[in-house]
Amino acid sequence: MLSPTKFENYFRVFRDILRSIYHSISLQEVFNIVVTKTAEVLNAKGALLRILNQETRQFDIGAAYGLGDRYVTKGPVSTEKLLHHPSELHKVKIITDIWHAPRVEYPQLAWDEGIRMILDVPMAIGNEMRGMIRIYLAEPRTFSPDELDFMVTIAEQCACIIERVRLAENQQTHITHLATQMEKMSSLGRMAAGVAHEINNPLTGILLFSSNMIKKVDPGSSLEKGLKIIIREALRCKSIIQGLLEFARDKPPKKVMEDINDVIRTAMGVVENQFYVRHVSLEPHLAQNMVKTPLDKNQIEQMLINLLLNALQAVEDHGRVSVKSMLDSEKNRIAIEIADNGCGISAENVKKIFEPFYTTRANGTGLGLAVSYGIIENHRGNIQVFSKLGEGTRFVIDFPILDKKPGGKEGA
Amino acid sequence: MKPVSVLVIDDEQVICDACQLVLSEQGHAVTLTNTGADGLAAIRQGTYDVVLLDMKLPDIDGMEILNTVLKEKFEVCIIVMTGYSSISNAVEAIKKGASEYLAKPFTDDELLETIGKVCVDTGQQSTT
Repeated sequence: MLSPTKFENYFRVFRDILRSIYHSISLQEVFNIVVTKTAEVLNAKGALLRILNQETRQFDIGAAYGLGDRYVTKGPVSTEKLLHHPSELHKVKIITDIWHAPRVEYPQLAWDEGIRMILDVPMAIGNEMRGMIRIYLAEPRTFSPDELDFMVTIAEQCACIIERVRLAENQQTHITHLATQMEKMSSLGRMAAGVAHEINNPLTGILLFSSNMIKKVDPGSSLEKGLKIIIREALRCKSIIQGLLEFARDKPPKKVMEDINDVIRTAMGVVENQFYVRHVSLEPHLAQNMVKTPLDKNQIEQMLINLLLNALQAVEDHGRVSVKSMLDSEKNRIAIEIADNGCGISAENVKKIFEPFYTTRANGTGLGLAVSYGIIENHRGNIQVFSKLGEGTRFVIDFPILDKKPGGKEGA
Repeated sequence: MKPVSVLVIDDEQVICDACQLVLSEQGHAVTLTNTGADGLAAIRQGTYDVVLLDMKLPDIDGMEILNTVLKEKFEVCIIVMTGYSSISNAVEAIKKGASEYLAKPFTDDELLETIGKVCVDTGQQSTT
């Protein structure tokens, strides 16, 4: 049990650390306060805060107090030696024999630094290690359970703030990525419109001459055969350009209140025969409590058909595709998930799938997903792709519900 | 279909040549112009049943030519040709008074059918 004076000291340190966390000072400043205050209150020689690098699985130095530069910067600290067992994630490891403890990687240096005892306090959230606070003492001593509990609590607070910053950074990266993607799409759209216009003119000449000429040649002749190919290919170019213009055209959706489940059912009806022929199952899992949402039915239908046909292409015969609709009343959003158990998309290719003309199919135009992306964008929605090679792909699209009251009356 | 006189206004020579071939084979009289100014001068000087008007010309915008033709009350059917495949562009032209539109690229049949349709609509083919 801590004495009242000691308790007061510990309380003050805890308060200062919490204040530094909640007053949004930089992460570095929080770490500096943690190592300084913790070392001071424990009468320790120094303290070192290390953060676990999620990529390299090595511990990077977050902050140091009371230690010589030579000791602090000595070599990397390997994860394995510090992480002995998940059961130790929320326990302080006390090292009294620094010469023989496997966790002490440079015992001679530690001895020279005047270190005689070490406490390792893991910074963890659940079963996830985020880092470690190491406290160095010049003389061995005993610690009460309350003191150890104090250290674990401080370390847990540090783990929480690391997690918070990491999440904020991830969100920022995601936002930056989306902004870049939008800018890219917009430039590509403008370019596409220009290219389409330039190509349409020569294509008109080709189509007019060839469609006129074919009427003058002998039926069955090789000339007729060649002209048929020219006409067919010119018409193919026409459909590619139309797709490109669809993509480029910033067509505002004509939104009316629709039940997304009805739109999904219509889109499924359009493609069901193609699924049937390939013996691919198409399973709907539609939310019962769906509310009406402002949508351009035709555009959303087109987007769903594109995604369903892509899923069909990705699966083998007898494969499986599911369509799920979900309502998130908390966030006021509806979501659609289209999942298949097909070939999947590599991480490298996932980045390209929404770019116009990107296709892996011999007869694909590479515009389906680019057009779908534009439609989702026009509905202020998001699309996410989760894919694993050989296991399948999952597209998740979500839209805002403008009507704030789920299940309430239709709004404009 | 009774032969009609057609004025083509398009800066793309290949389109002018193709239209001339297709239409003259059907007995229609065809005049070609490559600029908006020439096209407008031709309309003012001649008598045409149908004008095939490209919406994007190097000198005068197709929509402006359409406005002038309507303002000066020439009795001519205007078929706008748009390279944008943009329905909204064509709808705007039709709202203003164009008779029809052709979305580039189009086939010879589409061209002939559209000309036939506007001539029937305006009564120019009532004798056939």
